[in-house]
Amino acid sequence: MSAIHQVPTSVPADAILSVSDITVRFGSLVAVDGVSFQAQRGHITSVIGPNGAGKSTLFNLISGAIEPSAGRVIFDGQDLTGLPPNRMLAAGLARSFQITNLFFELPVRENLRLAAQFLEHGRGLLRPVGSSRVALQRVDELVERFRLEHKLNELAGFLSHGEQRRLEIAVALAARPRMLLLDEPTQGMSHADTQETGEMIRGLAAESLSILLVEHDVDLVMSLSDHVVVMHQGGKLAEGTPQQVRGNPAVQSAYFGDAFHA
Amino acid sequence: MAEMLEWLQFVLAPQVINGASIGVAVVLMALGLTIIFGLLDVINMAHGEFYAIGAYAAVALLGLGLPFWWTLGLTPLLMAVVGYVTERTLIQRVFHSKERHTLTLLLTFGLAIILEDALKIVFGANPLRLESPITGASEVMGLFFPNYRLFVMALGSLVIAFVWLVVFRTRLGAMVRAAAYDRYMAASLGVPVAVVYAGTFAFGVALAGLAGVLLAPIYSVFPTMGRDFVLIAFSVVIIGGMGSIKGAVIAGLVLTQIQSISSLYISPVWSDPLLFGIMVLVLIWRPQGLFGRLGHA
Amino acid sequence: MRDMTVDPVLPSTSVTARLQRHPIRALAWLFFALALLFALVAGLKGDVFFFRLATEALIFGGLSLSVDLLLGRTGLLPLGQALFFGFGAYVSALVLKHGLPSFWLAMAVVLVTTTLVGLLAGVIAIRAKGVYFALISFGLAQVVSKAVFNTRELGASDGIIGVPVPQISFGLFSVDAASPAGFFLLVLIFIGILYGLLAYLMETPFGHQLAAIRTNEHRVPFLGVDPWRYKLVAFVLAANVAGLSGALYPMLRGFVSPELMFFQVSGNAIINVIVGGTGTLIGALYGSAVLTVLRSVIGTFTAHHQLVIGVIFMISVIFFPRGMIGYVVAALERRKETAP
Repeated sequence: MSAIHQVPTSVPADAILSVSDITVRFGSLVAVDGVSFQAQRGHITSVIGPNGAGKSTLFNLISGAIEPSAGRVIFDGQDLTGLPPNRMLAAGLARSFQITNLFFELPVRENLRLAAQFLEHGRGLLRPVGSSRVALQRVDELVERFRLEHKLNELAGFLSHGEQRRLEIAVALAARPRMLLLDEPTQGMSHADTQETGEMIRGLAAESLSILLVEHDVDLVMSLSDHVVVMHQGGKLAEGTPQQVRGNPAVQSAYFGDAFHA
Repeated sequence: MAEMLEWLQFVLAPQVINGASIGVAVVLMALGLTIIFGLLDVINMAHGEFYAIGAYAAVALLGLGLPFWWTLGLTPLLMAVVGYVTERTLIQRVFHSKERHTLTLLLTFGLAIILEDALKIVFGANPLRLESPITGASEVMGLFFPNYRLFVMALGSLVIAFVWLVVFRTRLGAMVRAAAYDRYMAASLGVPVAVVYAGTFAFGVALAGLAGVLLAPIYSVFPTMGRDFVLIAFSVVIIGGMGSIKGAVIAGLVLTQIQSISSLYISPVWSDPLLFGIMVLVLIWRPQGLFGRLGHA
Repeated sequence: MRDMTVDPVLPSTSVTARLQRHPIRALAWLFFALALLFALVAGLKGDVFFFRLATEALIFGGLSLSVDLLLGRTGLLPLGQALFFGFGAYVSALVLKHGLPSFWLAMAVVLVTTTLVGLLAGVIAIRAKGVYFALISFGLAQVVSKAVFNTRELGASDGIIGVPVPQISFGLFSVDAASPAGFFLLVLIFIGILYGLLAYLMETPFGHQLAAIRTNEHRVPFLGVDPWRYKLVAFVLAANVAGLSGALYPMLRGFVSPELMFFQVSGNAIINVIVGGTGTLIGALYGSAVLTVLRSVIGTFTAHHQLVIGVIFMISVIFFPRGMIGYVVAALERRKETAP
C-alpha cells in the first residue's frame, strides 16, 4: 500500500490544532459554549457526545464553514479563526462530510481530479486537463488506495453507500492535508465497512496524518483514538485517553441520562 | 411655516395619495408573487402577463356591456381558473425535479411569451384606454382627489387585509402555511396538498388579475404592460423578502411612495432605475430580503 | 444512495463529458461545414438576403454562446445577457461613426469597455445565487435599456443610424463589410474562433471547475477553490463574447437601436440555447440558426412568430429537455452501443 503521507517520524509531539474558548451563537441559541482543547500532531483525536451536543457545529467551525462568535482556532501555528474553507485547505486542513457531499453528477475520477487539482497550485489552469501530471498522479494513488479502480467512470451518485463514503474520504485526502477532519465517516455503514474504515484511519495516522474524528460509534472511537473529547450541550464535558473518558461518571451520565440510575 | 404647510398640502399630499393608489395595486401583485414563491417555490415569470390579462379581461367584459362592479368581481374569478389550470397542467410537470426553480422560471417565461403574443393577436398592439368607472373627485384636506383613486386605495386595502386574515387567521391559511413549511408532514396530516398548491397558485394569479382590473383605468392597457410591471413586482418581493406577506405589503407601499415622492425631484424615467438600485442594495446587504418566508416567518 | 435524477434540462456535466469526446466535436465541424456549403450555394446564386439573414443568425448565435457559457456550464441563468450584446453594438457603432471606421479599433474598444462593464455588473450580480442572479441580470438589462431609450445623445428610441460600413483589412487583403458573402465568411470565422476558444476552455481545469461549481457549489471551497472568482471570470468572459458579437451588428445593419438590449433578445438567446441543447455550446449555434430561419419563415405568414417560438420552446423544455444536439448525440451513442 503506498504511503500517502511522507512526514518525518521525528516530529515532536505538539499540538497541531488548538481550539480555545470557541463559542458559536445562532441568535439566542448557544450551540458551542467556550470549548477548548488541543489535538496532537500525528494523533487521532475524537470528539464524541450525545445528539445535540454541538459536535457538528464545532466541526463546521474548525473547517471554515461557519464563523465563531468568540474564540480562536490555531492550526499549525497559524490563526485560522473565521477563515473560509478554501483558506483552511490552503493551510493544510481538510474535511470530509457526514452527509455525503460529492459531485454526484460527475464520475468518480473527476471527483478525485477536482480535489487533486489543488496540488497544481494554479499551474496549467488554462491548459488541457490531461496535462496536469501532478494531479493525475495523485488520482491514481488515491484510486489504488481506496480500491476504486472499477468505478472510475461511474457517476459518484451511482456508487453504493459504502463506496461513496470511501470516495468522500479520498476526496478530502486528495490535497495532501496535514490534518484531516472526519465527520462521522462510518455513518450508515455496515459492520464490515466500519471495521475497514477504522483500519484505514489507523493506517492514515500511522503515516503521521493528524486526524480529528467525530463519531457516533463509541466502540470504534475508543479503539482508535489517542485522545477523546466529550461534548455535552455545547460545552466540553471531559477529555482524556479512551480509558479515562470511559470511566468518567459524568460522561456515563450524559450518555445514558440520570434516568438510568433512577 | 405657512409655506411648509402649503407644500405639504398641495405638493406632497397628492403625490402620497397617487403613490398609495398605485402602491396598493403593486402590493396585490407582489402578494400574489410572494405567496406563489413562498408556498410553491415557483418563480412565476408569467405573473405580469396575468396582470395584463386581468386588465384586458376587464376591457372585454366592459365592452360586452357588463357593469364595472360585475367586471371587478368576475375577473379575479376567471383569473383564478386560469391559474388553477396553469398549475395543474404546466407547473406540476416539472415540480418534482431537482432544478425546480430554473425549470418553472423557464416554463413561466415561455408562457409569458406566448401569452403576450396572444394578447396582441386578440386585442391588437395598440393601447386601449378605459374610462374611469367612478368619476368625479372628492375634497380631502382642501384638495380634490379623483374618486377612482380613492376607491382603488380603499378596495385594495380591504383585499390586502382580507389576504392577511385568511393566511394568518383561518384554518385554510393554516393549511397553506403548513404545506409551505413541510409538504410531506402536511400531507400526512390530511392536508390535500395538490389542491392546496393549485388553489394557492390560482389565488396568486387572481390577485394579479385584480390589480390589472384596478389599474386599467389609470394606465392604458397594452400587450407589453405586464413585462414592465413585473419587474416592479419582483423588486418589491425581493426587497420585502421572497415568501413574506408582511414584506410584500410594507415594501410595496414604501417603495411606491419613494417612487412617487422622488418624481417631484427627478425625471420619471429614473423612477424604475431607482427602485432597481434599491433592490440591488438590499440584495447585497441582506439577500433574503427584509422579512422572513411564508411558513417560516 | 441518494436519489439520483440527473436533471435533463441542464444535462449533467458527466453526460456532457461523454458527449465531449467525439459526437459533439463532429457536430461542431458539421455546423461549420454546412455553413461553408451554404456560403458556396448562396454565393453562386448571387444572393443577398439569405447571406444577411445567416450572418444575423451567427451574430445572435454569438450571444447565445455567451448564454450557454453561463447557463449550461456555470449554472447561472442570465435573463438579461442582451445588455452586453447591445452595449457592444452601441460602442461599436459609436466608434465606427464618430471615431474611425475601423473594424479592429471598434473590436478593441468593445473588448476593453465590455470587460470593465462586465466586471462591474459581475461584482454586483455574482453575489446572488440562482433565481436572484437571474432577476438581477433581468433588472440590469431592463434599466439600462430604458436609460438608453431615453437618452437623446444615443439617438433615443431611434438609436444610432448611418453607421459607416467598414473595410476589414488583414494587411494583404481586405473584406468589405458591405459584401454579403465576404462579411458572412468573416463573421463565420469570428464566431468560429469564439466557439473554439470556449470549447477549449471547457476542457481545461478552469472549465472543469465551472462544471463542479454548477454541480455542487457548496463543496467547492472545501477543495481549496473560491467559486466567486471563477464565476466572475466566467461572467466577464460571457459578457465579452456577447459584446464582441454585438459589435458585429452595426457592421451588418448600419444601425443600432435600444431593442438590441430588450428582454426579447435575451429571451430569444435563452430559447436558442435550450432548444439547441444546453451545455453543448455548439447547440447554441445550431439553435440560433434553426430558430432564426424559423422566425423568418413564420414571419412571412404572420407577425406572431413569437407565439410559435414560445410554444416550441415550452415543448422543448417539457418533452425534449436535452435539446436538438443532446438528442442527436444520445441517438448516436445508442447506435454506437448496438453496433456489431
